[in-house]
Amino acid sequence: MRQAVRNYLVFLWRCGRLAFSGDWRYYTWMGALSIFCLLGLNAYAKQFANGLIATGMSDEVSWGVYIANFTFLVGVAAAAVMMVIPVYIYNNEELHDLVIFGKLLAVAAILMCLAFVTVDLGRPDRFWHLIPGIGQFNFPASMLSWDVLVLNGYLLLNVHICGYLLYCRYRGRVPGKWFYIPFVFIAIVWAVSIHTVTAFLYVGLGGRPFWNSAIVGPRFLASAFTAGPALIILAMQVVRRVTAFAPAGSAARLRGEVGVEPRPKGRAATLDDLDLLARHLVEMASVPKEFRQSILAGAIVLEAKAGDVLLRQGETENETFIVLKGRVVVRREEGGRFRITRSLGPGEQFGEISALAGTPRTGTAIAEESSLILSLPVDSLRKLMTAPKMNKIIRSRMSERLLITDRALMTLRSIVQVSMLINVFLLVNEVFKEFYSGNLHVASAKYLFVGLYGHHALVPWIWTAIAFNLTAMVLLVLPVSRSLKWLNLTCVLCIVGIWIEKGMGLVIPGFIPTPLGEMVEYSPSLNETLVCFGIWAFGLLCYTVFLRMSVPILQGRLSKTNEGQPEFGVKGAGEQSAA
Amino acid sequence: MANPTSNTHESVQSPPDGLSRRSFLRSSAVLASGLAALAASLAPLRHLNDFPTVEQFLQKYYKELTPEEMKKVLRRIEDEVEREYGLRPHLRDLKPMNGVEFVYALNLTRCIGCRKCVHACVAENNQSRNPEIQYIRVLRLPHGSLDMEKAEHNYNPEMVPEKGYFYMPVQCQQCKNPPCVKVCPVHATWQEADGITVIDYNWCIGCRYCAAACPYWARHFNFTKPSIPKERLNLDMAYLGNRPRRQGVMEKCHFCVQRTRVGRYPACVEVCPVGARKFGNILDPESEVSYILCTKRVFVQLKEELGTSPRFFYYFDV
Repeated sequence: MRQAVRNYLVFLWRCGRLAFSGDWRYYTWMGALSIFCLLGLNAYAKQFANGLIATGMSDEVSWGVYIANFTFLVGVAAAAVMMVIPVYIYNNEELHDLVIFGKLLAVAAILMCLAFVTVDLGRPDRFWHLIPGIGQFNFPASMLSWDVLVLNGYLLLNVHICGYLLYCRYRGRVPGKWFYIPFVFIAIVWAVSIHTVTAFLYVGLGGRPFWNSAIVGPRFLASAFTAGPALIILAMQVVRRVTAFAPAGSAARLRGEVGVEPRPKGRAATLDDLDLLARHLVEMASVPKEFRQSILAGAIVLEAKAGDVLLRQGETENETFIVLKGRVVVRREEGGRFRITRSLGPGEQFGEISALAGTPRTGTAIAEESSLILSLPVDSLRKLMTAPKMNKIIRSRMSERLLITDRALMTLRSIVQVSMLINVFLLVNEVFKEFYSGNLHVASAKYLFVGLYGHHALVPWIWTAIAFNLTAMVLLVLPVSRSLKWLNLTCVLCIVGIWIEKGMGLVIPGFIPTPLGEMVEYSPSLNETLVCFGIWAFGLLCYTVFLRMSVPILQGRLSKTNEGQPEFGVKGAGEQSAA
Repeated sequence: MANPTSNTHESVQSPPDGLSRRSFLRSSAVLASGLAALAASLAPLRHLNDFPTVEQFLQKYYKELTPEEMKKVLRRIEDEVEREYGLRPHLRDLKPMNGVEFVYALNLTRCIGCRKCVHACVAENNQSRNPEIQYIRVLRLPHGSLDMEKAEHNYNPEMVPEKGYFYMPVQCQQCKNPPCVKVCPVHATWQEADGITVIDYNWCIGCRYCAAACPYWARHFNFTKPSIPKERLNLDMAYLGNRPRRQGVMEKCHFCVQRTRVGRYPACVEVCPVGARKFGNILDPESEVSYILCTKRVFVQLKEELGTSPRFFYYFDV
């Protein structure tokens, strides 16, 4: 028990150290975000001291950009499930690696949501009145109390799933299905609930006809499933680019072209080699000796020097590999750029998927240091996988890899595509209902779309949003958005368009005109805007830290086995600053 | 023999030691500048003008206070008011009377739009003068229409009434089915036995969801610390009524609980120069409001279609 706690604390400590180390780009980025955070904190301190008068809100428009951002971000958080569903229900392997990144984005988004709600409170010191059991919790009557429950529940679910999967990966263990699969499915339903509950916050108000419409809930989901995956498409490309650094030492070699030099020399494998493997792969220890003997046929041990190429991208071979000693990196070439997709230590396998499937190699494997590599013909691997424990560990490792492929991004693209079509369709429904019937309740919609009684502050915003959304929709339908450049543009259009439509375009006009017919407009104050920037910077900071910790774990660079050795990132930073 | 060994030891150790000292100095410099930046960004908190005391922070919910605790709280609030305004108020916790349900009736034929009620209300209920908070909003409407989008809120003629218009004062309608109570996440607002919806100003968290839910724009928020000139302070106060509010909480019309629960009329009823405002106990068949609701042929509940069922009725002489 004490050992388990110690291991976990070491894990947290190492993750924490990683968060404070990186190259100059990392420091610049984190420094800039910290400055924005502090500016936001300063603005909030002013608001805390003087009250919400520091914002542009008034009795007439009593919610502003804080709640608008909150609404948008609940959507982003909910959209993380759009990657989980294809993976766990349809077994889409391409998206597998993205699930953790999507869930981490959900965690960051929920943290931002909670921050936005807190800064919107007039008496943040009384937050404890909201805690069930301690305060007075108006459940189930108040939709806001539902929101408190579902948001915090969603946060816990996702923290648990990410934390558990990452820790298992760190320890080199197979995640126990019962420890996370049920939570994954609960989180899917829960994600829909967080956004529906947020929609019901508005829908339930009979005195505000602009919000009191059954279509708001579906519209929220459709726009969330557009903006969320769009954000993830962009974030994943950043991750892909940033994690493409080579480990210190053999940088030039790993980035450059590989020649056609022959493979390192090998010798026939012996039972001793399998014993060596069993030391790093406990599952191997359970394989009986006669069984081990039977897979030695055709098995070779390669003695590789640093920089030796073990397999090449594009080739089709039926050979699979397991690292016995040393370290191997897998490099992938895409669009003329190289990036490291994996770093493998003793006991880990590579080349098995293409060999088992008979498909071309998806990457090039290069020894990072002098290593011993066990090469097994694919039939021997199949045989090895008839041992239940070996089957389990090999299969689980097959799916635990950091591969952000273009195909995965294209799957996300089709989610964005369908969601955007539905979103625009629902918007058309809403606009038709408001304007065709022409009753007195159309005032807010008129104010939003064309202006009312000489007030039209929101008109340019909503038409920008509509233009962005329509352009994005057209681009998504056209094959042109299959190219990443156009897809990125489309994603930016989606995100900005939906942020305006859902934030400024839904929250603010609900208050204009007031229930007594008065026209009072709203625009955020500078202080309020700074608080918003601060919270966004805080969210990005959190997400960057999450990625900084999880990418090395998924790549296999940060694991229990290399505990006590100098951290690769920490060391890398030191070397760079020394140079 | 010992000396050379230790010397060698030191010389071997010194480079990494120096390196770690340098990195220690560097990280402490980073840490110190980070903390300084954090402190600087929190500097505005020095001007905090409404920081809660421990007692205020830990104060229990109104309905959970025992009579003894309530006494202590009342005394504490009196002290707070005295400290701030230099005047000792008379603060009571008035409970609803048995067999009483208050109802308001307003005669639209009589109202001349003079706004005397608005100002009497502000004076009675210690509303903030700057920024200005008013519980009553008088709408000027053109003859023949109840469409509030046609209402003028800021009418300012030489003399009222003006030809071609009628006036409709709107305040909290004390709904039987109040949307504001339903949405409050912390039960800080509720309906009392006499039909008045009240707010525990020490429990409200300031989320303003009730303001979004109210179809009558009756809820008003203290966006900053309210300011009341001390010579204007009304010292006859009730806990759920007109005691001074704090920054960041909601307030609204409460039918002047400090008056009506001891048998007086609300300030707006008393001040009305044309007798357009009527107030009383609907459970008493002899009361003026019972008479009006039984005999007038037409009366209007604002936004009746929302099902809020107001206890505030508008009626006409003819």
